[in-house]
Amino acid sequence: MDEKGANIDLLFRNGLKDFEVLPPPGLWDGIHSAIKMKTRPIIYLRAAAAVTVLLTMSLLAYRWSREMSLGPAGSVIAFNVPASSPVIYKPIDNTQYLPEKKYNTDNNSSNVLVETENQVAINEEIETIASPEQILNVPESKSLYLTKNELINGLELKPLNSPKGNPIAIQYPDLQYPPVNTVAKPVKRWSIEALASPTYYSTFTSGNDQLTSQLTSTEDPLFSYSGGVSFSYKISKRFSIQSGIYYSSLGQRIDGIYSFSGFQKYNESKGSPSFKVPTTSGTVYTSNPDVFLAAYGNGKVYTTYTNDVFDPNKASLQYISNSLTQNLSYLELPVIVRYKVIDKMIGINIIGGLSYNLLVSNSAYAMKDGTKYSVGDTKGLNPLALSSSLGMGMEYNLSDKLSLNLEPTFRYYLDPFSITTGSLIHPYSFGIFSGVSYKF
Amino acid sequence: MSEIKKIIKGCLAGSRRDQELLYRRHSAKLYAVCLQYSGNDEEARDILQEGFIKIFENLHHYKHEGSFEGWMRRITVNTALEKFRTRHSLYRVDDIDTIQEPDAEPDNQDYAGLEANDLLEIIRELPTKYRMVFNLYAIEGYSHKEIGEMINISEGTSKSNLSRARVILQRRVGSYTGIKKKVANG
Repeated sequence: MDEKGANIDLLFRNGLKDFEVLPPPGLWDGIHSAIKMKTRPIIYLRAAAAVTVLLTMSLLAYRWSREMSLGPAGSVIAFNVPASSPVIYKPIDNTQYLPEKKYNTDNNSSNVLVETENQVAINEEIETIASPEQILNVPESKSLYLTKNELINGLELKPLNSPKGNPIAIQYPDLQYPPVNTVAKPVKRWSIEALASPTYYSTFTSGNDQLTSQLTSTEDPLFSYSGGVSFSYKISKRFSIQSGIYYSSLGQRIDGIYSFSGFQKYNESKGSPSFKVPTTSGTVYTSNPDVFLAAYGNGKVYTTYTNDVFDPNKASLQYISNSLTQNLSYLELPVIVRYKVIDKMIGINIIGGLSYNLLVSNSAYAMKDGTKYSVGDTKGLNPLALSSSLGMGMEYNLSDKLSLNLEPTFRYYLDPFSITTGSLIHPYSFGIFSGVSYKF
Repeated sequence: MSEIKKIIKGCLAGSRRDQELLYRRHSAKLYAVCLQYSGNDEEARDILQEGFIKIFENLHHYKHEGSFEGWMRRITVNTALEKFRTRHSLYRVDDIDTIQEPDAEPDNQDYAGLEANDLLEIIRELPTKYRMVFNLYAIEGYSHKEIGEMINISEGTSKSNLSRARVILQRRVGSYTGIKKKVANG
């Protein structure tokens, strides 16, 4: 029995080895729909990860720029003022350092208050007790050595970090330096910005409409892009308002739609569209009388040229492609509010606002070897769509006028592009905009 | 980089083209496996669909060690087993023993002339548990202990099922070859 068993085992093992049976047609569409639905959350997770990375980078940049701004512990500052005029203490700009200078101690014709990095003197602790406008009157012809805390005109001076025997000197040498310019620089309130980005475009679908699920399974977003110019006006230290004009090109590929050329001689439609292809972004109507469309898998084509009326296999048609490309272009007019979270060399902004999107062109075509075959266009599209956007802007200041910008932005279309199907379909896009801005 | 590695890389990057290519290349062989484990075409289709979804979902676990086809086959067989376990979880594991045993041991057979299609048809006519045990033991090469754990039966039951499956198969193979000979001789 064992031997017989082994024989029968071998018979089946060898006989079925490498055996192949073609699966039923259409099974792939079901598999693809399922994996497409399951991979979408991964896209969201990736987006969340990207946002997390950006936030972490922002935090690090903030800490770094903060550490940079604190600078060395002491500063070298010299104020030269005419004799008998008061010395004006200003809050020390931590980023400005003036060189140490030797002074003529014999000359007592002017008042000079000297701080050196080593001898120190007036640093942040003084700033905390001296208001910007506080005036210190230093008596003429007097050298002041701070070996202990001293109170002058109600202002306490401390000999910080001053080594013993090397006290702070407040002296009155010749006028050697121009007076400190106390006039505030004018604020640059306007800026112009040019940005562009490749964008990932897709749709949020609500409702369980069977047709929509079927259509969604055949649609793949294509490379899209957006770019434009904007102006912004700084309404306060942290808030600015922005508007401008952007151009966005969005597209998707509709699989399972076979296209053929050479149909004109069979076409008796006399100008009316011969084929309609429903999509989640409206219905594509053919306008090219030479194109014949046929559906495969989950693809859908509505036509009067059904198989009983016209057999494409018997006609001399030339195959073009197995998918259609649907392209929509919008002009975007945004109203954006920016809130500056960090205002350093690397600035961080939170960006949010609304945009009106004007449909400027739409087309549907089939591609063969890089050549576009016009098929028609999409009907039922909203000519004006409102979208909301939320993003985070990173700004690297090259100078006080010029900066580089990086702005990951998520855009959600509040108005669907089309309401031709039974479900609510809201497109969205995500792009990382980059560009330059000029302040004036 | 080998072509299959490129395809796998493309699939992992979400390329629909590569996903479809992978499916087109391997679906026929895997569908034959599905048919081997299922009693009807609908069940086979379900197994293939679920199996491929798992293949795509777990592609990042494939370490390019060993045969990729073997890896896909294991996933497909496991999917078939999952389906089997789900369907048979409500029944007592040894219910299959009540199936009527063949009357007699068949004689030595001449198996010539049998094609893969015939073998598949014969194997699919087996009662479900016999078919499972025979496939796992004779085709996949698992031990009775492993089979017992896989489909929740004892080792002894697995042996007994295999033995009965062999008897049925020998009988059916005999009748198939007989018919074929008659047809060939006119």
